[in-house]
Amino acid sequence: MKTNLLTSDDHSSLVNRLKDIIFTVIKNIFLTIISLLMVYPLYWLITSAFKTNDEFFSDPYSLPSTWVFENIVRAWEVADLGRAMINSTIVTVSATLLTVFLGALTAYALSRFTFKLKGFLIVFFLLGMLIPIHSTLVPLFTMMNLVGLLDTYWALILPYTAFELPIAIFLTVAYMTTIPKELEEAAIIDGSGYWGIFFKMMLPLSVPALSTVAILSFLRYWNEFVFALVFINDSSLKTLPLSLAIFSDGFSTDYVLTMAAMTVAVVPTIVMYLIFQEQIMKGMVAGSVKG
Amino acid sequence: MQSTLKVKGLLVITLLPALLLYSFFVIVPIFWSAYYGFFEWSGLGEATFIGFQNYVEVIQDSVFWRALKNNMIIVAASIIGQVPIALGLALLLRKSNLFQRFVRSAIFLPMVISTVVVGLIWGYIYDSQIGVVNAVLTAVGLESWTRAWLADPTVNMYAVSIPIIWNYIGPYLIIFIAAIQNIPSELEEAADIDGATGFQKLVHIILPMMWTTIKIAIVLCISGSLKAFDQVFVMTGGGPAQSTELLATYMYNNTFMIYRYGFGSAVSTMIIVISMLLIVISQIVMKRKNLR
Repeated sequence: MKTNLLTSDDHSSLVNRLKDIIFTVIKNIFLTIISLLMVYPLYWLITSAFKTNDEFFSDPYSLPSTWVFENIVRAWEVADLGRAMINSTIVTVSATLLTVFLGALTAYALSRFTFKLKGFLIVFFLLGMLIPIHSTLVPLFTMMNLVGLLDTYWALILPYTAFELPIAIFLTVAYMTTIPKELEEAAIIDGSGYWGIFFKMMLPLSVPALSTVAILSFLRYWNEFVFALVFINDSSLKTLPLSLAIFSDGFSTDYVLTMAAMTVAVVPTIVMYLIFQEQIMKGMVAGSVKG
Repeated sequence: MQSTLKVKGLLVITLLPALLLYSFFVIVPIFWSAYYGFFEWSGLGEATFIGFQNYVEVIQDSVFWRALKNNMIIVAASIIGQVPIALGLALLLRKSNLFQRFVRSAIFLPMVISTVVVGLIWGYIYDSQIGVVNAVLTAVGLESWTRAWLADPTVNMYAVSIPIIWNYIGPYLIIFIAAIQNIPSELEEAADIDGATGFQKLVHIILPMMWTTIKIAIVLCISGSLKAFDQVFVMTGGGPAQSTELLATYMYNNTFMIYRYGFGSAVSTMIIVISMLLIVISQIVMKRKNLR
């Protein structure tokens, strides 16, 4: 009797363990397939960038038989990617710096002081996350036309920063409120003014939050398309996404050239992603949850 | 006294720059746009006041309603396509071992790619000659299903929705994983002791505990879908014959292609109104469900 019970117990635990193993194997195969599906379009893009047009047609899905680096050079010239790369860098870096600085400054006031308009201001800034960016295109275009901002770097730097500020402020306020008040009091006793506290204490202590803001802004600005499309006409000011857009009709028959141009634009963001992925994931989620 | 003055000065200096920039570029344009909606204006020269005529025309334009319907298809596709898939994947990806972290990174990766690139790549994937979709269909003997995916009005809205799902599934996955990890483990252990099956745990513990997060995800789907523009603009430009027109492409084409700034402004205003309405409605609907 007793032995029988034990063996049936053993038996069922063995069956359960076997079930677990089978489940895990199926699950992992499934997850691997999903990962491949997610990554495949990018893999296809980058490998195609190094084929000849003939090979791209005859054998579109395998690795290039010989790696043609000339495509990159040709794409670089045809789409003036060097210029676009410089423009994208200027706009992205300036707007990122401005976003981080203004975000930190505003967050300092909103997180460390109490004043009458505080609640209103927080709601006012958060509102920005609900506003669809496209609905402001026409008025922004006419407004910037009036003050002569169109076709300048500012036409991108200023609206990029303005639209990213709500997220930057939200992330930084959340972080700054966790910094203990006692630190500030100690600094005041030591004779620091508010500016001293901001520059010597709040900024350095908020580096984790500020770097998240910086990475997110950088990615968003580097990839931004609509504002650039509408506010920039001068071809010498085009950003990367804008110069890629010419491939959506003009050069569509030269597939490998398009692939090469896209690869050039995509590689910096992929590298950045590989380095900062944890921070990017957390930041984007925190930012989007409020939006 | 001096110190309160100091604080006031500090507040003005710290808040004013961001406040001005944000107001000027984000808030003021909304009102400006509503105002310009009352004018017939080509962007150059005289603007003529025409009252509500633009708004009336928008409402009577069948293309506007088609664009709205297309936006709704994207809302539906992202709610149906993103929320359950991300939820399912989150359940499978709760651990943080190396393999699972790798899968998470792979799923999140498209999020950092330029939307223009996403549009272009998927344009090729759907291409009737060189596209992977038709190649796969032919390979498995479903040749009769092959078609020009982006040109065929019966399927092209669904076709353009898929890259959007692919592009944005990562954040939902990460939100859901965070929510699952926040569920106290005692609850599941207690359920295990009571002999609950995996499915019972899912329905009675995990899903109810995640309801707030799911609601957030649905609101994100709605507001995100109304922002949809880049991928579709690059893939189809709203065509052929306006079959993939979205509110945003409709606004863009009217304003910057045929220079109807007043009309475009009226459409812009409608986009904001619709977006706010949808968010409010979804909140009310989901609040009710919560009470039951």
